[in-house]
Amino acid sequence: MIGGRARNWVKVIWVCTILTALYLPILSVLLASLANTRYMRFPHKVWSLDAYRGAAADYTTVTLHVISLQIAVWVVLLSVVLGTLGAMAYARYDWRGRTLFQKMLVLPIFFPQPVLGLALLLSMSALGIAPSWKTAVVAHAVWIVPIVTLVISIRLFGYDVAQEEAAFDLGASRWQVAREVTFPALWPGIFSGALFAFLLSWSNLPLSIYTSGADTPLPLWLFSRTATNYSPLVPAIAVIGTFVSGLVVLALLLLRRVLSRAAN
Amino acid sequence: MMRRNPGFWFALPLIAAMLLFFAAPLVIVVWFSLMPPRSFDLTTDFGLQNYQSAFADGYGPPLMWSLIGATLTTAITAALAWPTAKILHRHAGRWASIVTALIALPIFISESVRLFGLSVFLMPGGGILAGTLKALFDVQIGTILNTRFAALLGMVYIHFPFMLFPMLLGVGMIPADRIEAAQDLGAGRWAILREVELPLAAPGLLVGGLLTFVLCLGANAEAAILGGRAVTVITAAIEQRFNYAQDWPMGAALTVLVILVTAALVFPAVRRIDLNRIIRR
Amino acid sequence: MTKSPAALSLTGLTKRFGAMTAVDDISIDIREGEFFTIVGPSGSGKSTLVRLLAGLEAPTSGRLHLRGLDITAMPANRRPTAMVFQSLALFDHRSVGQNIEFAMKMKGVAPEARRLRALELLRLVRLPESYYARPVTQCSGGERQRVALARALGSDPEILFFDEPLSAIDYRLRKTLEVELKELHQRTGKTFIYITHSLEEAMVLSDRIAIMRAGRFEQIGTPDEIYRHPTSRFVASFMGEVNILAVSQTPAGPVFADLDCAAPEAAGAFAVLRPESLRPDASAPVTFAATVTQKLMLGSRTQFHLRAGQAALIAEIAAGSGASLSLGETARFGFDPADIAWVQA
Repeated sequence: MIGGRARNWVKVIWVCTILTALYLPILSVLLASLANTRYMRFPHKVWSLDAYRGAAADYTTVTLHVISLQIAVWVVLLSVVLGTLGAMAYARYDWRGRTLFQKMLVLPIFFPQPVLGLALLLSMSALGIAPSWKTAVVAHAVWIVPIVTLVISIRLFGYDVAQEEAAFDLGASRWQVAREVTFPALWPGIFSGALFAFLLSWSNLPLSIYTSGADTPLPLWLFSRTATNYSPLVPAIAVIGTFVSGLVVLALLLLRRVLSRAAN
Repeated sequence: MMRRNPGFWFALPLIAAMLLFFAAPLVIVVWFSLMPPRSFDLTTDFGLQNYQSAFADGYGPPLMWSLIGATLTTAITAALAWPTAKILHRHAGRWASIVTALIALPIFISESVRLFGLSVFLMPGGGILAGTLKALFDVQIGTILNTRFAALLGMVYIHFPFMLFPMLLGVGMIPADRIEAAQDLGAGRWAILREVELPLAAPGLLVGGLLTFVLCLGANAEAAILGGRAVTVITAAIEQRFNYAQDWPMGAALTVLVILVTAALVFPAVRRIDLNRIIRR
Repeated sequence: MTKSPAALSLTGLTKRFGAMTAVDDISIDIREGEFFTIVGPSGSGKSTLVRLLAGLEAPTSGRLHLRGLDITAMPANRRPTAMVFQSLALFDHRSVGQNIEFAMKMKGVAPEARRLRALELLRLVRLPESYYARPVTQCSGGERQRVALARALGSDPEILFFDEPLSAIDYRLRKTLEVELKELHQRTGKTFIYITHSLEEAMVLSDRIAIMRAGRFEQIGTPDEIYRHPTSRFVASFMGEVNILAVSQTPAGPVFADLDCAAPEAAGAFAVLRPESLRPDASAPVTFAATVTQKLMLGSRTQFHLRAGQAALIAEIAAGSGASLSLGETARFGFDPADIAWVQA
């Protein structure tokens, strides 16, 4: 077609522009972390890893990661348990309240996150519960569990229930059906759900702002230090934190591989 | 006793959790908003004073800024995401999957990291952009940092993927033959967009638009990191009432206003959208 | 034949996808008001061809003229043609009426005029006027077919294309719709170009049929010509169950190689013989011994699967003609060489 080649170029340029725009700020963080001056003067006179040494020596780095990890692990556990059960109700069984359940379930997703945090903070305070990383877990879970439920449901929709009946028919017990048929079919969904839950919790800022109290998770610390008290330590810890989450994801993927090998 | 379908029992833990941690806090917020100003207890002494003073005391502008910001962000991200979604759908394959993954990846890098990155990029003098231009071309540039525009830029930046991915699902719901049929019947580019593509992709557009709008409505990090003092958004105003002014009922009343705006948009949409149809694919 | 330009004229039309040639140098004139059907197996390039004609694909080379006007470079939305898609491609988000009015809306026809025309078209395709406001998603399979047809007619096209619209429909409904389509063609007098993989369907509908294979037309002719005088084994076998007998030359003259019997006056390399031409008749001009390996009752006829020498043959005998052969029985079968259609390849 005439002009087809030109049109393709426009598309390539468009996509590249979008990607560049998405990654420039992330690259900027990396660049900013390689300075050793208190004030940002790019291009750096001296490129150094001092900030990383500083971060490694600073106990804050560990504390921040431990808090974020604590929250994320609990959110993953809650999401997987509640999400798997919820997905069965969402996609597997047809029951009387299902339509209503499906519609109500998405409401927390379509809710302004900081406002959700504020609402939780207020009610906890009214009940005399001091905000801590535990309340942050609750805040994260309210938003993330419905998402994980949907992620697992997507899997379940493609699942033919007749397989279970076939297994029964072939003499499997209820438990064997669950272990041999249902769970293997659900497993990929559960795994991606867990991955989603971890990443969403690890990186979430708005839900933690008002709910974590004195326990500061990583994104919140970065947020507050960006506004005041800036030093190259901030981008360095940002890079480390992102890197750690990448490592966790990698470890989970490896774990899945090992598990599926062991299963075969 | 009536024997219930297993579905209900599977749903029960989730329903209980949501009632306890989502519905109940909202009820408490509404309750607090009806308490006398500056009280810290929930009583039956209901009143609407907080709502009256919410508008009298100048909380209109923050709410308005949040609404304007959310509207603009939704419109801009939609305009950027539509062609992107069309391209990714049309040229589905190896490259499109890589690009899609690359666009998704930043969602999982903390919003504060990315906004911080945007601010060092835009920073005047020694910022990444200004410093590079100065070093390479000896060009001095100013900055848009600490303006409303910068806050808007940050909102668009953060929320673009939230618009794109539902939109991709939406675009995936347009069968290619419907576009051809419209073409065959004499429809031009715009007519196809208006008569065929947008209506067929509507569920995805609606979900993306709604998600973006709602997330932006509560967004405060963009304004805090990039907007400086140029703009106060409603969430910041609420926080200020809660934390510094220690006026919980007033903060609660403002929260209820945001929830009402959200509910007015979300309820009709959720009633209309058949989410199953979108995610079943 | 008159000298007025053809309704649609294809000159050396070719479409290549990479190394694959889907449509290979096709030239033909399609007459005004003709019902022209292109028949071919899947992968023969017939769908690509109709997409080229409708303007949904651009040809690699060749020209396309509509009543003498070169439309090769004209995009689909400007061509005065309309297509009924295989999937029908109805706009599910619109009502029946809105679907039918689509092309008129694109042309800027006033709403009231559109509505009147849409109601007229509903009557033409035998749908009640009450369907006007009905969502297309609430229509049955046959009703959707009719809506798709009315929608295509709504653009008042000079030529209508059909890309296997009846392929996904059950037998009885298909038969009904075939008759309606034929009547519609006669009533509107428009040029219809129809794609199908069913030669049977083509026979019922068409003025002229082109058999397509590997991007080319293998044979073009009236249904009668194609039926009586197929020019190749491919065309012959396309008509369903036929017997094809190879002829080989021996010092004693031509013989049917598999049957071990003489082939007098062989006029080609292969003899095509219809099942109904084969009879259990020892007095036929050509006869041979055959064993019944299968016997199927087809209602009005009985079908026998036969083994004769190396050949597996099929014979069909009208029910009640008295022939009562049982499974495993060997009898003499025969045919009249006049019933043979000779093909070279």
